[in-house]
Amino acid sequence: MSVRHFSLKRRAVAVVAASALMAAGCGGSGDAGGEPDGPVKIKVWAWYPSFKPVVDLFNKTHTDVQIEWTNAGTGQDQYTKLQTALKAGKGAPDVVMIEFQEIPTFQLTKHLVDMGEYGANAAKGNYVDWAWKQVSNGGKVYAIPVDAGPMAMLYRKDIFDKYKLTVPKTWAEFKSQAQKLKAASPNSFMTDFGANDGGFMTGLLWQAGARPFNYTAAKSPDIGLSVNGAQAKSTMAYWEDMVGSGLADTTAFQTTDFYSGLTTGKYATYLAAGWGPGYLASVAKKTEGKWRAAPLPQWTAGANAQGDWGGSAFAVTDQAKHPKQATKVAMEIFGTSKDAWRIGIDQAFLFPTVTPILQWDYFQGKKYGFFGGQKVNEVFVPAYNGIGEFHWSPFNSYYFSQMTTAMNQAIEKKSSWPGALDTVQQNVSKYASQQGFKVAQ
Amino acid sequence: MRRRSGRQTVAGWLFVTPFTILLVAFLLLPMAYAAKLSLYRSTLVEGEVFAWLGNYRQAFGDPEFRRGVVRVVVFGLVQTPVMIGLSLVFALLIDAGTSRLARFFRLAAFVPYAVPVVIGTLMWGFLYSPRTGLFSSVSDLDLLSSGTVLYSLGNVVTWQWAGYNMIVLYAALQGLPREVYESARIDGAGPLQIAVRIKTPMISAAIVLVTIFTIIGTLQFFTEPLILQPLDPGTITNSYTPNVYAYHQAFSYQQYNYSAAISFLLGAVVFIGSYIFLFVTRRRSALR
Repeated sequence: MSVRHFSLKRRAVAVVAASALMAAGCGGSGDAGGEPDGPVKIKVWAWYPSFKPVVDLFNKTHTDVQIEWTNAGTGQDQYTKLQTALKAGKGAPDVVMIEFQEIPTFQLTKHLVDMGEYGANAAKGNYVDWAWKQVSNGGKVYAIPVDAGPMAMLYRKDIFDKYKLTVPKTWAEFKSQAQKLKAASPNSFMTDFGANDGGFMTGLLWQAGARPFNYTAAKSPDIGLSVNGAQAKSTMAYWEDMVGSGLADTTAFQTTDFYSGLTTGKYATYLAAGWGPGYLASVAKKTEGKWRAAPLPQWTAGANAQGDWGGSAFAVTDQAKHPKQATKVAMEIFGTSKDAWRIGIDQAFLFPTVTPILQWDYFQGKKYGFFGGQKVNEVFVPAYNGIGEFHWSPFNSYYFSQMTTAMNQAIEKKSSWPGALDTVQQNVSKYASQQGFKVAQ
Repeated sequence: MRRRSGRQTVAGWLFVTPFTILLVAFLLLPMAYAAKLSLYRSTLVEGEVFAWLGNYRQAFGDPEFRRGVVRVVVFGLVQTPVMIGLSLVFALLIDAGTSRLARFFRLAAFVPYAVPVVIGTLMWGFLYSPRTGLFSSVSDLDLLSSGTVLYSLGNVVTWQWAGYNMIVLYAALQGLPREVYESARIDGAGPLQIAVRIKTPMISAAIVLVTIFTIIGTLQFFTEPLILQPLDPGTITNSYTPNVYAYHQAFSYQQYNYSAAISFLLGAVVFIGSYIFLFVTRRRSALR
């Protein structure tokens, strides 16, 4: 599932705003090819919260290009519409929001324009290496990164104080603190392991150094698959033990039970991503001031291994009539604009990928009332910078669904979690071969 | 006379034209398109190729699809008698009673049908939830675990549709001539005997109708499992029922061709299931 399911209310507002915008801008651009007279209209699909003021800002500050924005649904809903429109050859937007893990899927079907031909490589210097590699392959640029989800540990300071827990720096300490908590408060859990979220689980594996896929657009149809590699297996064995000993809960993420667990203090920590602070503030309002952020525990003491959960980018589709202007839109909607990012940070709770904004005092020094005035980005920015390169497969929805199914079955039947990874590896390999890939284990 | 009948034919065609256009545009053409889709195979790497019956062969050998079909068939075998039995009992009860209570009961049993399926399923999902749900405070039974979830789903379906089927049967009962009951009463039949021996056989056509609807509905089981999937993703997998499987093949994995083949096979199962039932009941009525 996607990363930004959080505010339903906000989504509803966005939908209303989108339909109003559509009604207002029904004219559309009729001219094909050549340099147009008036401003070029670029259709954009995105589901960022509070996106309308960002679009308004862009339209106010640009005379040559104007954005017509539509919220075509969140995550899979939008991808379904996009796939259909791309297959049909019409009806797709010029610029579209795509999460990192889905970019290879859309790239493979050759529906994404190489923005490198239209000057997108100029932006390369604004991004750290791993983020740029999520969207590009050599000089070919398939999307411009917007936000990311570096992982960290959000914890309840009140609960930690009450049971005299220390903030764990390693996963071993995380477990010992969990045992201490369990002994003092049997109904509490150290955290919740949401096995229904492929992005969450992959983020944890990413931190552990697991690399399930070895794939780039240039190498296609060759793909390396090692979903059940040693690091992945040891990570899952750790969580199997945590869950088996009653230290971690397995309530599905984004369910009422999960929200109530966050609010009532059933969970002492929430392993979250860069968008987590805003998400938490909207789903567990009552706990304002009780949370703090700390770096993700490490497998090796003193190491700096990080993982990412979520993140998205703007791509240009092959249906764009003005790919040059569309590229400009993708690069400049958020770009390095402080005004746009002020909205993105304060209202949409996005974690920026672009270095000038990450280094901006306003962002780094922003105090979050929900976290008792803590400057949480001082935790998330180093986490972001510590993330390593990671490849996704061009059939991510299949991989996510196999992961969530296998892990949930392992939880339910109390069977081996590392064994579940073997099942995923088998199924994904079979699927990849069926799809015509040359699979290397 | 012959000329008039010709004109009548033309008029007849004109009358059915609107229906025919809708039928062709929204049923037959999409079906033909889906049939065509199901004969091709598209892979992510190689694109689209003609595959003859390759997708169908794959579906027959696909354990996930077969498990889904077996699941809905077993589900239907249990669900249909329970649902029809309940609906019939309710219909006979409110048909026998004339008090205000009967009217209230009729409305109360029908209300669930007026609740949209998605809302109804979500509501039951909240009730079932082992942590925050209502039932969890009464018993320790996890209603969303691998062993129980099919029953929980059956309960949602019964809750939703029993009232609707009841109304259909009740309407049929209301259409029966009242004199028959009187003669039965004179012959010494009690209310129970009237219900079992007189009313039930006389509305057998309506019972067959709602049974067919229920069989088709259970074989096409889709919305309820899809809505409850996030609550028990370990059991309600992406291939839980054939319809859910077809949905995920098309919209999660972009396997439109395979999805079309699965849909056609499911259509065949529904057709065969309905036909068997009609055949069995026809023979029975002929014997009588």
